[in-house]
Amino acid sequence: MLTLVTFFPVLGAIILLSLKAIKKESDLLVKQLAVGFSAVTFVLSLGLLFQFDKSLGGLQLVDKADWIPSWNISYYLGIDGLSILMVLLTTFISMLAILSSWSAIKEQVKQYYVFMLLLEAGMLGVFLAQDLFLFYIFWEFTLIPMYFLIGIWGGQERIYASIKFFLYTMAGSLLMLLAILYMGITNETFSLPALIAGRSAFADVQNWLFVGFAIAFAIKVPIFPFHSWLPDAHTQAPTAGSIILAGVLLKMGTYGFLRFNLPLFPEASVHYAPTIAVLAIIGIIYGAIVSFPQKDVKKLVAYSSISHLGFVMLGIFSLTEAGLQGAILQGVNHGLSTGALFFLVGVIYEQRHTRMMSDFGGLWKAMPIFAVLSLIVTLSSMGLPGLNGFVGEFTILLGSMGSHALGDHAWIYTAFATTGVILAAVYLLWMYQNVFMGPLDKEENKKLRDMNGRELTIMLAFLLFIFWIGIAPAAYFALMDSTVAKMVADIVSAGALAMP
Amino acid sequence: MNAFQLAPFLLIFPAIGVLFNGLVGRRFVEADAKSGEKWSGWFASTMAILAFIVAAMLFFSLRSNEFHAEAVKMFDWFNIPSANFYIPWTIQVDTLSVAMMLVVTGVGSLIHIYAIGYMHGDPDFSRFFAYLNLFLFFMLILVSGSTYLMLFVGWEGVGLCSYLLIGFWFDRIDEQGKAMNADAGRKAFIANRVGDLAMILAMILLFWAFKSLEFGQVFGSAIEMFEKGEGVHLFGMEMSIGAVTTAVTALFLMGAAGKSAQIPLYVWLPDAMAGPTPVSALIHAATMVTSGIYLMVRSNVLLEIARESGNLVFGLVSSPDLIALTGALTALVAGLIAFTQFDIKKVLAYSTVSQLGFMVAAAGMGAYVAAMFHLIAHAFFKALLFLSAGSVIHGMEHGHHHVHEHDHGDDLHGVPEGDKHHEVEKFDPQDMRTMGGLRDKMPTTYVVYMIGALALSGIVPLAGFWSKDEILAHGSQNNQVVYWMLVVAAFFTAFYMGRQLKMVFFDKPRHAAAEHASESSPLMTRPLIALATLSVLGGLLNLPFLSESIKEANHGHPGGIWLGLEGWLEHSVQAFHLSEEGLIHLPHTPVVLSLPVAGASTVLAVLALALAFFVVYGKRPKTADERDPLQSTPIWWFSILPFEWFYMHTFVPGFKWLARWSADTIDWAFWHDFVHNNLIRDVFRGFANFASDVLDANGVDGLVNGSGRFTRYVGSIIRKTQSGYARNYALGVFLGTVILLAYFIFSY
Repeated sequence: MLTLVTFFPVLGAIILLSLKAIKKESDLLVKQLAVGFSAVTFVLSLGLLFQFDKSLGGLQLVDKADWIPSWNISYYLGIDGLSILMVLLTTFISMLAILSSWSAIKEQVKQYYVFMLLLEAGMLGVFLAQDLFLFYIFWEFTLIPMYFLIGIWGGQERIYASIKFFLYTMAGSLLMLLAILYMGITNETFSLPALIAGRSAFADVQNWLFVGFAIAFAIKVPIFPFHSWLPDAHTQAPTAGSIILAGVLLKMGTYGFLRFNLPLFPEASVHYAPTIAVLAIIGIIYGAIVSFPQKDVKKLVAYSSISHLGFVMLGIFSLTEAGLQGAILQGVNHGLSTGALFFLVGVIYEQRHTRMMSDFGGLWKAMPIFAVLSLIVTLSSMGLPGLNGFVGEFTILLGSMGSHALGDHAWIYTAFATTGVILAAVYLLWMYQNVFMGPLDKEENKKLRDMNGRELTIMLAFLLFIFWIGIAPAAYFALMDSTVAKMVADIVSAGALAMP
Repeated sequence: MNAFQLAPFLLIFPAIGVLFNGLVGRRFVEADAKSGEKWSGWFASTMAILAFIVAAMLFFSLRSNEFHAEAVKMFDWFNIPSANFYIPWTIQVDTLSVAMMLVVTGVGSLIHIYAIGYMHGDPDFSRFFAYLNLFLFFMLILVSGSTYLMLFVGWEGVGLCSYLLIGFWFDRIDEQGKAMNADAGRKAFIANRVGDLAMILAMILLFWAFKSLEFGQVFGSAIEMFEKGEGVHLFGMEMSIGAVTTAVTALFLMGAAGKSAQIPLYVWLPDAMAGPTPVSALIHAATMVTSGIYLMVRSNVLLEIARESGNLVFGLVSSPDLIALTGALTALVAGLIAFTQFDIKKVLAYSTVSQLGFMVAAAGMGAYVAAMFHLIAHAFFKALLFLSAGSVIHGMEHGHHHVHEHDHGDDLHGVPEGDKHHEVEKFDPQDMRTMGGLRDKMPTTYVVYMIGALALSGIVPLAGFWSKDEILAHGSQNNQVVYWMLVVAAFFTAFYMGRQLKMVFFDKPRHAAAEHASESSPLMTRPLIALATLSVLGGLLNLPFLSESIKEANHGHPGGIWLGLEGWLEHSVQAFHLSEEGLIHLPHTPVVLSLPVAGASTVLAVLALALAFFVVYGKRPKTADERDPLQSTPIWWFSILPFEWFYMHTFVPGFKWLARWSADTIDWAFWHDFVHNNLIRDVFRGFANFASDVLDANGVDGLVNGSGRFTRYVGSIIRKTQSGYARNYALGVFLGTVILLAYFIFSY
């Protein structure tokens, strides 16, 4: 089942590539097929929910086979409470991103959708792989389609942005590769559960291994100060690229911490928790402050990601049940609200070919539906209670204050992180006012059309989850509770975390 | 009769109203302005009235249930079993919440109806009513939630509605081209968020101390642990319950300072007057801004424990005393600022800040019933004052239009077009200096305004007299400092209201617009009359001797048809104190009419009114541009109180500078450009050059030649990539990756 979900988009990509041989090729058919394949993948991933037993803490629906036995490398997919929401997020965001490209992509349409589908498969593989070598291959593989998406269909400085994105992430992964090889050779296995069980073999060097993994993930998240690639990649990527980048790719970093760093190196995780939490809080505040003076809406949203992901990192390294679950859910929330924001920027960019706030103003009068939907998404990003962002943020803050990993002064971390709540209002309301309020005084803006049916459908899909998670998140927490509880219990029983 | 299960409808009706006006209301108005406005406005008003009916049914259900609170669970919200974090959406029906529901929906309904008349002709009519219903929805969540977290949903939600309604006319700009309404809305939201920071921290602290955010459970375990002298283990130390409650209530004060406009966060409320006047009445006078007081009264157990425990904030003062002092200081300072305002609504705005200070002070002194009493009475007469002010503004605009049209006829006589337009723009229908003599032009408005102003000033037997006196009586018994500050503030109240009455309604009109002002439509004046009646009779809610005599007749138990606010709230608001035997639950501090206090404050109020009316403003101002008699006195300094100045001249520019510097210099010029584009890239290049040089040095050409050739070679590659497709280059990188990967795999 997991193999089917993961490789179904690849099937789509292959069919698109061989389209010429089967049938007369047209852009419309390509689009329809791409949308269809991504939609079926989403439905398949929903099917996982029925097979998933949320009372279990361990891996489920495992697909396992020997792959390269001489190096102890196996094909090993599995799902648990850490990954199920990420898988659903991936298929959901990919589907909407593909649908959102309908009218935005006019050149080399087929290649574009092939890359989108390959990217989706790569991301699914990252979230499902339970063999470190397999994980590494998926991890690096996602770079390639993203690299082309930015480099070919991106903005003015796309080459620079795509190379920077590629090199930065690639360089960060090399240390992780070394760490993986080290563990794989000392333990003669690359399977994650086996490595966790036998982690005493590398426990004495775990601080080094932790850092090796952490740098790769920190760049992906990005944790301050490894964020320099992000504004370039986000502003230059096409709309769908930005949606996927913010919606899913960044979550690969936070997921990596959860999946590998915490269970493989519990003592190191506790040891480094205060450091990473401080960086996370710097990220929350710094990202928010730097967002404020941005003139390009897309860049503002990009920097706001640094702030939001800071919350996620704080939640993870609080090492509490509430903090971890809040972090996972906030990953989903950030994917929804920031993905939706990038989509909305794309809607207006398609019409006006500018993203500068100074070119807008008073758009509410011209596009009331667009304005109201943007308001809801902005508020979700701001963490208004009743919408999804608050649920994640509050759970994270709750967890961080009760954290033992952060020491006796955990409340100071919480207090600083909570200032992000004020700063988010400062920069997001500023953006909203500049774009939608004030007089509608520019001629070009008066003729703007409001959202069309396809755009509305995409937005309603986003909003469905923005409201659902905001009002009734219990079902989402239920999916991850057992896994997270087991994980925290493992860290405690490893003796890494003293519980009073 | 038991209608508790109907409680969710309290929220469902306004939600339906939001959906109606948000989705289809606009079409009705666009299709036919006249009937459309009726549909849109009356639909919203009906939803408000239906919510009021639900609240009334809950009121009677509580009575037949012998005042026992009921919790009506709707569905789960948060549920994280491993963290013991469980928060359902539950409506708490108890005497306190029902009192608030009745005020919110009752005053809210009247204001909805009034707004149908007031907003007539606005192109965004239906959007306005969608916001109003949305506000009711969130306000009812705020007062009906059974947990702090649900209260917080309403708390932020009403903040959002406040933001939207202040910025309702978001496309208006001032002379400097700034979108002032949008700015004012944003300011309100951000100031509130500063308070919300404290609210979030307080809730998290409460959760870790008591493992719950549900009111009953928090209060129950707080009392129990306090009685036993137990502490909680938090942050690696043992914290006493007194310390926890002190911290939490101090944080609540900060939250209330944002929402209920107390020092130092009150600065947003005067600016909030940029919104339509019904909004000022509903949100920024009667209901939303009293949320902070509701929070305090709701948390009475925590406040009392903080008081009894003797823990001090920063080692200086107990947190209830801090709350009382903050409230009293706000009452005093805002009362002074009100002296210096010329905008009819801004006087009322500062007056609201001042009256909220009274309520906060009452809550801080433990006079919870008095705080609620003043909250309700204030909702009546301040809503009345704002709506009447709206009627005055309407009348002035009408008069101005009249004059303007008249002037058009005179155009032929050669008045330069440009000049007149300038004049037209300069006219401010809210400036009291341009009014005067409206008593004759708008008789109904005059009478109801008079009632509101006298009620606010605390004249017997209007509502404000009873409620304010109860606070003062508590002050005289409990806290002399606060008492005297409040007495002076009450004196100020009467003075600025006297000034306003004089400037608006008496003397001769000082502007052509005032001369031609006319009375507003019945749709607007009828709600005014209803509110005026409430302002007159509001004191009956909690007449001191009445509720006492009823209690006596019922052998110490309140009962019968009329039980008074005190007897009613007794079932939600407990009073106790710590003695050697443990916690002793007290009956309420009996409401006594302290004759010396009441007499003194009445005399002072009359004196202040007279002083303003006959002495200071006795003969002035005669013309619209005459200086205010107080303008040369030190009182005027308060009009530029340092808070606003501090925020606008140090904090805001400071933040902007910091943000620009961080973004442009640190993040972009240094980190992005210098470190990444120069440092890292150049070091890498240098390394690459060195490697190629060493390789080349083995050849015949030698070092210099080789590097030259390498440069040429690199140049040719770059030329190729720049002329060719990006994907060719990307393909190279891709192949490189594959080769590298293959190398890694197969080299083992």
